[in-house]
Amino acid sequence: MTTTNEHIEQSERVIELRLPSRLGYEKVAIDTAASLARRMGFADERIDALRTAVGEAVTNAIEHGNDKDSATKVNVILMFRPDELVVSVADQGRKYLKKDATVTAPCIQEALQKEDKGGWGIWLIRSLMDEVEFSTAPSGGNQIRMVIHLEP
Amino acid sequence: MIHSSHSHVVELCFPSAFGCEKIVLDAIATFAYRCGFNDEQIANLKTALGEACVNAIEHGNQCCDQLQVQVQCMYDEQSLSIDVRDYGLKKYQASGPPASIEHKLHGHAALRGMGLSIIGQLVDEAGFIDSLERGNRFRFTLYRRSSQAATEKIRNTYNT
Repeated sequence: MTTTNEHIEQSERVIELRLPSRLGYEKVAIDTAASLARRMGFADERIDALRTAVGEAVTNAIEHGNDKDSATKVNVILMFRPDELVVSVADQGRKYLKKDATVTAPCIQEALQKEDKGGWGIWLIRSLMDEVEFSTAPSGGNQIRMVIHLEP
Repeated sequence: MIHSSHSHVVELCFPSAFGCEKIVLDAIATFAYRCGFNDEQIANLKTALGEACVNAIEHGNQCCDQLQVQVQCMYDEQSLSIDVRDYGLKKYQASGPPASIEHKLHGHAALRGMGLSIIGQLVDEAGFIDSLERGNRFRFTLYRRSSQAATEKIRNTYNT
């Protein structure tokens, strides 16, 4: 057990980023995640997928979870191991994400009829990342955990 | 572009392991770009931040990767200020002015130890902040104006 923990400590590192809830700041999170992924050796195509997923997750946290309240923060945790990158995005829960919103796939035919073309973020994230989980953050807000595996 | 009605703060924490600071440089470069700083200012900022982070890793945290380095970046329309904090396993002790490059090249002084001097040339204000905190806290500031003044400062220093 000790050996396993030591292995995790040696091979797992965490970078934490805290951003104000203002649109535009998601680009800081996107570039930070992309920079890390590039240095880990991810292919360009996977980095593009990660950029999109992180952008969607942070935008959701700013717009919905924190209700665009600029006094609140979005917490982005980048945990990296030799074979994967785990990105967690947490908000402060001004609005709570409904559970069905995390599993429902939007219908493109319906979307074409609607004026509001939004609502594709979570579906996109699920399509682009290898693992996706929704939970409650330690701070009490919404949290999304996304995993992208580094193929040998 | 990020427009400021009041101050904007981005915070990062990373382990004291060489290489991690490069991720922070990219994050802060994106932030500075979106605040309207030009390419030259951003290049200066990245060099200064890289030096400050490496100092925190190597000296303040003695390369102990269980200890974090904290970077706080504040933008208020006039300027961008960055605080780099470590745990102070080795506290900064002010000494005399650094040895000149000529001294170093002639072997009269250690080749290393130019980091603070370089930072001082690249940004508008830089220095350690005295506080009751245990660790070191290094702050540097870049004002939002033409980078001409910074270029002149470097020219004057090296008479190029």
